[in-house]
Amino acid sequence: MSGESRRNPVPKPRQQRKPYAEKSAPEPKQPASAKATPLTKRVRKKFRVFSVRSGLDMPFLFLVLVLVVIGLVMLFSASYAYAYYNYGNSYYFIIRQVAFAVLGVILMLLISYFDYHHLHRFAIPLLLVSYAFLVIVLFLPAVKGVHRWINLGLFGFQPSEIAKFAMTLCFAHLISINFKRMDTARYGVLPYVLLLGVTVLLLIREPHVSAAVIIIALAGMMLFIGGVPLRWFGAAFGVALAGIAYLVLFTSEFSYANDRVVAWLDPFTTEKNLLADTWQTRQSLYAIGSGGLLGLGLGQSRQKYLYLPEPQNDFIFAIVCEELGFIGALIIVILFALLVWRGVTISLKAKDKFGMLLGIGLTLQVGLQVVLNIAVITNTIPNTGISLPFFSYGGTSLVLLLAQMGVVLSISRTSAIEKT
Amino acid sequence: MAKGTTIRMWRRTLFLLAVFMVVGFGAIIFSLIKLQLVEGESLQERAVEQQMKDTTIPAMRGAIYDRNMRPLAQSATVWTVVLEPAYLTTDEQRETIAAGLSQILGMDKKEILEHTKKKSYYDVLKRKVETEVKDEILKFKEEKKIGNGIRLIEDYKRYYPFGSFAATILGFTGTDNQGLSGLEAYYDKQLTGTAGRLVTAKNAIGTDMPFQYEQKVEAQDGYSLVLTIDEIVQHFLEKYLEEGVVNNKVKNRATAIAMDVKTGAILGLAVKGDFDPNFPLIISDPTEAARVANMPEGDSTTEEGKKIKQAKTQAKIVAQQAQWRNKAVSDTYYPGSVFKMVTGSMGMEEGVVNENTQFFCNGAAVVSGTTIRCWKHGGHGGETFVQGLMNSCNPVFIKVGEMLGAERFFKYFAAFGLTEKTGVDLPGEAGSLYYTANQLNPVELATESFGQNFSITPLQMITAAAAVANGGYLVQPHVVSQVLDSDGNIVQSVDTKVKRQVISEDVSRRMSKILQMNATTGTAKNGYLPGYRVAGKTGTSEKVAEYNAGGKKKMEYIASYCGFAPADDPQIALLVFFDEPQGDSYYGGAVAGPVFGKMMEEILPYLGVERKYTDAEMEKLDVATPDVTGKKLDAAKAALQKLSLKQKVYGGGDTVLKQIPESGKSIPQNGTVVLMTDAESESRQVTVPNLVGMTLTQANSAAAEAGINITVSGAALTGGKAQSHSQSIAVGTKVSPGTVVNVGFIEFDQVQ
Repeated sequence: MSGESRRNPVPKPRQQRKPYAEKSAPEPKQPASAKATPLTKRVRKKFRVFSVRSGLDMPFLFLVLVLVVIGLVMLFSASYAYAYYNYGNSYYFIIRQVAFAVLGVILMLLISYFDYHHLHRFAIPLLLVSYAFLVIVLFLPAVKGVHRWINLGLFGFQPSEIAKFAMTLCFAHLISINFKRMDTARYGVLPYVLLLGVTVLLLIREPHVSAAVIIIALAGMMLFIGGVPLRWFGAAFGVALAGIAYLVLFTSEFSYANDRVVAWLDPFTTEKNLLADTWQTRQSLYAIGSGGLLGLGLGQSRQKYLYLPEPQNDFIFAIVCEELGFIGALIIVILFALLVWRGVTISLKAKDKFGMLLGIGLTLQVGLQVVLNIAVITNTIPNTGISLPFFSYGGTSLVLLLAQMGVVLSISRTSAIEKT
Repeated sequence: MAKGTTIRMWRRTLFLLAVFMVVGFGAIIFSLIKLQLVEGESLQERAVEQQMKDTTIPAMRGAIYDRNMRPLAQSATVWTVVLEPAYLTTDEQRETIAAGLSQILGMDKKEILEHTKKKSYYDVLKRKVETEVKDEILKFKEEKKIGNGIRLIEDYKRYYPFGSFAATILGFTGTDNQGLSGLEAYYDKQLTGTAGRLVTAKNAIGTDMPFQYEQKVEAQDGYSLVLTIDEIVQHFLEKYLEEGVVNNKVKNRATAIAMDVKTGAILGLAVKGDFDPNFPLIISDPTEAARVANMPEGDSTTEEGKKIKQAKTQAKIVAQQAQWRNKAVSDTYYPGSVFKMVTGSMGMEEGVVNENTQFFCNGAAVVSGTTIRCWKHGGHGGETFVQGLMNSCNPVFIKVGEMLGAERFFKYFAAFGLTEKTGVDLPGEAGSLYYTANQLNPVELATESFGQNFSITPLQMITAAAAVANGGYLVQPHVVSQVLDSDGNIVQSVDTKVKRQVISEDVSRRMSKILQMNATTGTAKNGYLPGYRVAGKTGTSEKVAEYNAGGKKKMEYIASYCGFAPADDPQIALLVFFDEPQGDSYYGGAVAGPVFGKMMEEILPYLGVERKYTDAEMEKLDVATPDVTGKKLDAAKAALQKLSLKQKVYGGGDTVLKQIPESGKSIPQNGTVVLMTDAESESRQVTVPNLVGMTLTQANSAAAEAGINITVSGAALTGGKAQSHSQSIAVGTKVSPGTVVNVGFIEFDQVQ
C-alpha cells in the first residue's frame, strides 16, 4: 500500500505516471465527457480494483476459449489410453484438466476485471518470490534427474513458469519506467542483463534449458521493442555464440544434449544406445505422418497406445496431427497465430507502455511456446521439454496461462482497439 | 511525447510480429506439410508396421495311423518360451525371472540371466516345452506379478508312441516339425498343413488395441495318413527280424517286407539297425554308439585337434545316416537264387521249359569258355526243371537263360519292373543296376539267370515275387492307403495300381505250386508251416562287387528268403533279408528261412488264412488235449485213449485233479498227458532238458525221459537232416510234468 499511496496523490511530477492519467487521443469510443473529467477523479476511478469501464476484447477471449475447448478435447483423446494402462482410469487426466480449466477460465475473467496497473507494485516482489522458488527447487529431490517441480501435495508447479511471468512483468515494469533511457547501458541494458543472468543461471542449475531459452528470447524481444539500440543485440549475439562455443568445446555440462543433437539429426537411427533417445521423436513423426491430410479421425490415433510416451504432455500435438490430419493441425496453428496477432495488436493499442510491453510479452510467450513445441514434435529442432499452451496436461500451468490471458484481457479493456 | 506506444515501438513490434509469423509459424507449417503431406505415406507405413503384429498360428501336423487307425505318429501341443528382455528394467526383475525359470525349465540360471540382459523383444529361451511346464510358468508369472517379459507361444511336437516301432517307414521330423525322413519327408506337404496368420493392432507393450484391425486366417491343420501297414504284422516282422539279427550275428542290418500280393499294399516293412524317431539323433546301435562315443574328442585349438574333432563328428553323422537309411528301398543287392522263381517264370511263360523238362548238372556250366559252378560241386546229375528249382541248381537256370536268349530275358526282366523304380511312396528309392539286352553277353546272361550280377532293391524283388504269385500282375507297392483331412474326411484314396501282366495266370499258378513244393521239401523247407501252403525260395547272394573292390577281406553274403502264402490263393508275400550274417551259417535257407517261417506262422492266422492240411500233414498234426479234469481216472484214461494219447498218472487218488497239458492246449499225436490225482502230486516238478542240436528222434526221447511233451516247428517234419536249434522253454527251467515245449528245427544245407 505504501508504494501506491506514495504515487497516487502525486502523479504529475513523475513522467511515467502521466500516461495513466492521460487519455490517448486516437481512442474513438471514449465518451466525450471522459475527456472533460478532472484528472484526479479519473485516476482514482482507474485505480479501482475492478475496472468495468470498457469491454474486453471479444476476439481474443473467443480465441482463448476455443483453444481451451479444443485443447481439452484433444487432451482427453490423447491421454485416455495412457491413463487406462497406467492409472486404470481413462478419465484420469481429463477430469483434473477440466477442473483446472474451469478454475482457470473463472480466474481469467476475474483478472480481466482487475486493473493491470496494480501489477506495477507486484513486479519486483514477484520476481523475488520466483527467485526464491528457483532456489528452493534446487534443494528438492530430483524427479527424473531434474529439479523442476515443487510439489505441494494436492498440486505442483514449476518455478520456471512463475519465473516466465515474473520476468515478463518485471521487464515491462522497468522498461515502461525507463523507456526514455533505454539507449543507455546503465538503465537500458545492465539491470536486465543482471536479472536475466540470475534467472538463467538458476534455470540451468535445475537444469531447464528450454525455459531459459524461452525467457532469454522473451526478454530479448521485450528489450528490442523497449528501444535498446541494435548494437547491444549484436554484442549479445556475439557473447552467446562464444558461450555456446565454450560449452560445446570445453565442458561436459551439456553432454546429455549432445546425444539429443545426434538423435535430432537422424531420428530413425538404428544405433542401439540412441534408440531410447530417438524413440519419442520417432513415434512422434510416425504419428504426424500417419495423419496425412485429413487424419485418422478424432479418437482414432494408434500411436497414443503407449507408442508415444506420455502423449498427454509435450507431444500431444503429434496425436492432434495424427487424428485431425494436416487440415486440423493447420487450423489449430492458425488459431494460435491469430491469438498472437490479436494479443500483440491489443497491446500495441494499449493506453500505456506498461500495458503494451506486458501484453506483448505475455502473448509472445504463448506464441514462442507454440512454435518451439511444434518445432520439437516435428523434429525441426532438437527434442527439449516445452509444453503446448492450452493442450498439454498440467493443471497449475493451465491456470497460470489463463491468468496471464486474463491480464491481456484486462489490458484490452483500456486498449484503443475495435473489440467487436 | 506519446503516453502509449511510440512510433519506434510500433515499428519494432510490427517487425518482430512479422518475423515471428513468417519464421516461427512458417517453419512449423512447413514442417507439418513436409511430414504429413510429403512423407506422410512412408511414415504411416512404418507406423503401421510397428502397430500390426503378424503372428503365425502354427498348423498341427497330421497324424500317421496304421491300417486299423492305431496312431503311429502324433502331434501334441507344446510351447516355446520366449523372453522379452527389453521390458525388463531392473536387475531385480531379471534376477527373479532367471531364478524362477531356471528352476522350472531346468536351465542354467546364469545362461537365462544373460538372455534377460539382451535388448530384444523376442528371444527364444526354450522350445518344445510341455503344457504342464507352461502352466508352471504361468503360475510363476502370476505369483511374481510379471506382466511383460515372458511370452509363451504355441507350437507342436511330434510323438511316436511306440518308439522305434516302424521308425524306418515313419521317418522323423526336425525342430520346426519339418519331415526329414521316411513318410514324414515324403508326405511332408500333406502332413504339414498351412500355418495361419493373425494380424492384429497391438500397442507398444504388445497387447491388443481396441481396434477393428484384426484379421485372422485360421491355420489349416495337416492331413493325416492312413497306412497300409498293419501294426500287428509290423510287430511280428520286427520281433523276429530282431531275433534273427541277434541269432545270426548280422553285421550290416536286416530288412523284412510283407506285401499284399494283390494290391501292392505293404503290410509291414521292418528294418533292423534302425532308430527311435523321438530321438533320431541318438545312435541306437549300442556298439556303434559306444564306438563313436569312445573316439577321442579333440579340440579346436590345434590343427591336429580340429581333425580329430572333425573325424568324430563325421563318424557320428555316418552312423546317424546309416540308421536312418531305408534298407528295403534305398539299398540294392544281388537277389541271388530267389531270382530263380523269376527266371523260371520267364522260361515257362515263353514255353522253353515246363515242369518236366530234363536237365543235367555235372557241378558246373561252361559258358563262352567261362566255367560257372553250381553250389553243389558234385553236381545234381539228371533232374527235371522242378527238381532243378527245388535244388536251386545254377546250371539249370543258366540253361533256361540261354534258351530264352538275351532279348526275351531282358524283356521279362524289364516287365517284372526291375529296370524301373517301383514308385513306392517312400523317399530315397534307389534305382537298379543291370545290363540291357544289347549288353547281355552270354556270361552276363548266365549269371543274371540265377540272380547274380545285377542289383535291385529288396522292394523290387518282393514286387516281382508278388507278380509271380498274383497271376502275373505287377502291382505298384504303396504304404499309404488314405489321406484324411483334419476332420477325418477322405481327401485321397490310393487304389491298387496294376502296372501290367507279366506272365499268364496259368504260369503263375504252376510256379506257385513248384515254389510250394520247394518250401515243403525242397531247399526252402525251413520256411515250411504245416497247413499254410507256403511257397518260397531261398537266396544267398555273394557280395561280389564289394569283394572285388577289395574292401572286404573275405566274401560276405546276404541271406534271404522270399515267399508267399497260401500257394493256392496267394495273399501275402514276405521277403526276409539279412546282410552279412556272421553266425553258424550264411545261407538263405538256414538264416532267413526259420525267421520267415516264424513270421508267417504268426501273420497268416492273424490275417485269417485257414490251415488246410494234406493227409501226410494230418498224420503228424498236433491234437487238442481233451478236458479230463474232474473225471474218474478210468474215464479219463478212456478219453485219452480214444485220441491215442498216452497218459501218466501221479498220486494215489481216483479222480483227476489236474491235467497237463491243460484242456485245449495242443499236444503232439501220441503225446503224454500227465494226470494228477492228489495234492502232493500237483506240486511235482520236472526240469526241462536240453533239446537243441538234436534230430527229431533224439529230441523226442529226451523229452519223454524228462516227462515233458514237445511240439516241433520248422523243417523237422519234412527234412531228413533237420536239427533242432531252439526251444521255447530254457534248459533247467522247473515245470510241471507234461508241459509242452516247442522245439524249432532247421536244415543246415548249403544251398545258395
